[in-house]
Amino acid sequence: MVQLTRRNFLIATGWIAGGVTVLYKLGSRAKAVAPTIIFPDKEMASTWIQIRPDGGCLMYCPRMDMGQNANTGLAQIVAEELNISTNDIEAVQPSTSDVPPLAVTAGSMSLTAFSRPMAIAAASLRENMRERAASRLKLSIREVLDDQAGFRATDGRLVRYADLVNEAPVFVEIDEHSSLPDLYAFDTQRQKKQVGQPVKPLGTRDIVTGAPLYAADVPMEGVLFGRAVRPPVRNAEIAAVDTRGVTDVPGFLKLVQEDNFVGVVCKTPGSVNAAMSKIKVSWHLKQTINQDEIDRLVNVDDELERGDLEHTLHDEAHRPNADWAVDLRFDVQVQSHAAQEPRAAIARFNEEGNEEGTKHLLEIWTGTQDPWAMKRFAALHTGLDEEDIVIYPQRMGGGFGGREHYEVEQDAVRLTSAIGRPVKVQWTRKDEFMAARNRPASAHRLRLAADETGRLTDWWHAYVTGHVVLARERLPRWLLPVARLREDMGVVRGTNPAYETTHLRVEYKDVDLPVDLGVWRSLNAAPSLFAIESAMDELALQLGEDPVEYKISQMRGELTRLKVCLERVRDMAKRYPVPEGEGYGRGFACGIYEGRCFVAVSADVYVDRDKERITVKHMCCAQDVGMAVNPDQLSAQMESNMAWSVGMALLERLEVGDDDIQSSNFDNYPIVRMADMPSVETEVIDQPAVPPAGAGEVALIAGPAAIANAIRNATGYRPLSLPISFADIAYGQD
Amino acid sequence: MKLKVNGVEYEIDPDWHDENLLDVLRDYLGLTGTRFSCGIGNCGACMVQIDGLSINSCLASLSMAAGKEILTIEGMAADDGTLHPLQQAWIDEAVPQCGYCQSGQLMRALSLLKENADPDDADIDQAMNGNLCRCGSYPRIRRSIKKAAIVLREAR
Repeated sequence: MVQLTRRNFLIATGWIAGGVTVLYKLGSRAKAVAPTIIFPDKEMASTWIQIRPDGGCLMYCPRMDMGQNANTGLAQIVAEELNISTNDIEAVQPSTSDVPPLAVTAGSMSLTAFSRPMAIAAASLRENMRERAASRLKLSIREVLDDQAGFRATDGRLVRYADLVNEAPVFVEIDEHSSLPDLYAFDTQRQKKQVGQPVKPLGTRDIVTGAPLYAADVPMEGVLFGRAVRPPVRNAEIAAVDTRGVTDVPGFLKLVQEDNFVGVVCKTPGSVNAAMSKIKVSWHLKQTINQDEIDRLVNVDDELERGDLEHTLHDEAHRPNADWAVDLRFDVQVQSHAAQEPRAAIARFNEEGNEEGTKHLLEIWTGTQDPWAMKRFAALHTGLDEEDIVIYPQRMGGGFGGREHYEVEQDAVRLTSAIGRPVKVQWTRKDEFMAARNRPASAHRLRLAADETGRLTDWWHAYVTGHVVLARERLPRWLLPVARLREDMGVVRGTNPAYETTHLRVEYKDVDLPVDLGVWRSLNAAPSLFAIESAMDELALQLGEDPVEYKISQMRGELTRLKVCLERVRDMAKRYPVPEGEGYGRGFACGIYEGRCFVAVSADVYVDRDKERITVKHMCCAQDVGMAVNPDQLSAQMESNMAWSVGMALLERLEVGDDDIQSSNFDNYPIVRMADMPSVETEVIDQPAVPPAGAGEVALIAGPAAIANAIRNATGYRPLSLPISFADIAYGQD
Repeated sequence: MKLKVNGVEYEIDPDWHDENLLDVLRDYLGLTGTRFSCGIGNCGACMVQIDGLSINSCLASLSMAAGKEILTIEGMAADDGTLHPLQQAWIDEAVPQCGYCQSGQLMRALSLLKENADPDDADIDQAMNGNLCRCGSYPRIRRSIKKAAIVLREAR
């Protein structure tokens, strides 16, 4: 953990020694580059918020923006505490030199972990301002009441924050001994002005006017353009390189060939494309890459037969020979993030002078979920001290769990080192697919049994999937075998049954797959819930019960929040009758994410036998993630998750060829388009007394199963494998 | 070679004559609001208007664009900064999530409303189907186009 003295901490955050850029010294060099795990506290948060001399509020955004708009929610909480409008906050994305390390932006943790420390920090600042006001007005603190961006005295005098701040910005230093101020954002009795309002996300105007926002947009004097050849998988090694003709390309400047790296620097982006087309690389692969190999490795029935499922999550009075009413295998294929922005980075070496002489700084502009890990990676890679490296994080054009690693940045650093001028590297769409750390394929065997009254009695969920958090390239090689003895938190996510059962076994095996793997929106929760919610739907149908009512009746008693979600969605869907006629159907599914987020989804589909097409027409989604800080943005995330649900259910599958990734663009890795997108109705269930949890990947856990269940309802065919294609649907004899 | 973008004429350095329009806009002229995403004209992120038609600029050569009126996202608002009704609707409906595709979405929506002052869902789905949004902001794009269409019709 990074140790900073109090003074260095404050210097580092720029709050004292104003105007001087000071780089802080890290305690020790990180040995291995793991994600930055730091839990924010109120002491830290207090340095992110200040009142400027003009009375405005400046906030350092502690989260990396990629569309989830977590900083907007945090700004609303700060604004609530300070009695200002969220739109009056100037929100700044800090560089790695501006603040001490921030935790990696991942796992829908932003509001859960950051909202309370930031509320305390902002409220402490407000109370500090109140003391100043009282002193100026010569009143007691109790006679100074809240007002917009300031205070109103009981005698009617007004004082604004601007009146209370002199030439230097004000922030408060708080520590564990500081008294805890009243928190307006968490006061359930209070009529709130910012929290709970549909505040427009920060930066929206910049987006619709085309302002520079992403890494490749950063203006850079004298920048050159470069790119490197991407391997089909991370651990591939270059076997042979043919660069004939590359030096003849107009605009070509430099070929860089070093340890397992081939790249070029050119004068223009087009000359980079031309030069790269001349370079032929053959790779030495450490394993066979093809779909058959993935299918062989991810085969739950083989593993069950061998008794080789090494991790047991639940084992309670398990009866392997129960009278299984449902015994089905579900498969999910490898999926890619396919974010809208192919990664880009700009790197340069810059001289910075001060009284002690000049020094060289390595500066990197990039969109990343973890700027501080990026800095540690760059230090390990270049041998520079971490204090000589600055990461300027930029907005990301979609992250979805895929942007934690030092890759396009490494390309830019190698190329700028070789040419001595700033270099921009813009990956192509194919590079982006080649570099994706995909969601692993998975196979699930679900067995359910019920007694003669229809009560669920036995639950046996066995599954095989690739590693997620413990994927090959995420940890040092020596640590992998040890780490993998433990549970992979990505692989186990979403496997706790929401239903009451006496006999229970949940077990899994995680395996190395021949494609790169990692964290994909909702991790293993969506594949597991696809299997679980399909199997429960099937059990209800076997028993002659309505699936929704059956699930409600079998749900664990304490899960009232989940039950409410499912009931709400049932009622929302009722308003839209399912059309008469062949091919129309409706399905439901529900689930719990990370133990604290609850969601239910309905899907209406039309399976058109003439056009041989499955269309999702309408979806309803009810979700409870605790306090609804910004209901409209929660809805936006639910809509986004419905789009991904359609993609996961019907479209997305990484095409793996012989020793290559075949998916290279949106023409061979289709994602949801406008015409695929159903109308969506959302309902946010607010729990003002429950701290807010993240919503970025919650609803995706229920959407695919709802669509699969709707297809079952429409056609009688039980979808067993995602993505579902029309050709899969067996229509019986006709 | 000269290029006229958002009403301003630019002289293009010969080193850049073989570049596609997208790269010239972004990396020569610094108009980075138009964005690269697929490079094969499949996703619409790089859409601009050339003489009023929406075109994927990643596929447009410079010679094809020279001498024509090019409009990019930076030129969509009025000179005094007043946003176009589509841009305003995009803000009012909080359309963007990551935001990366939205310049192209707005460019395509602009030409849709020129062709069809009162599009329904089917018209919108058809016109906008070449513009991908990985975040899935489609329902809000539908709403915003209809909202802006009303504003534009009333202004007439």
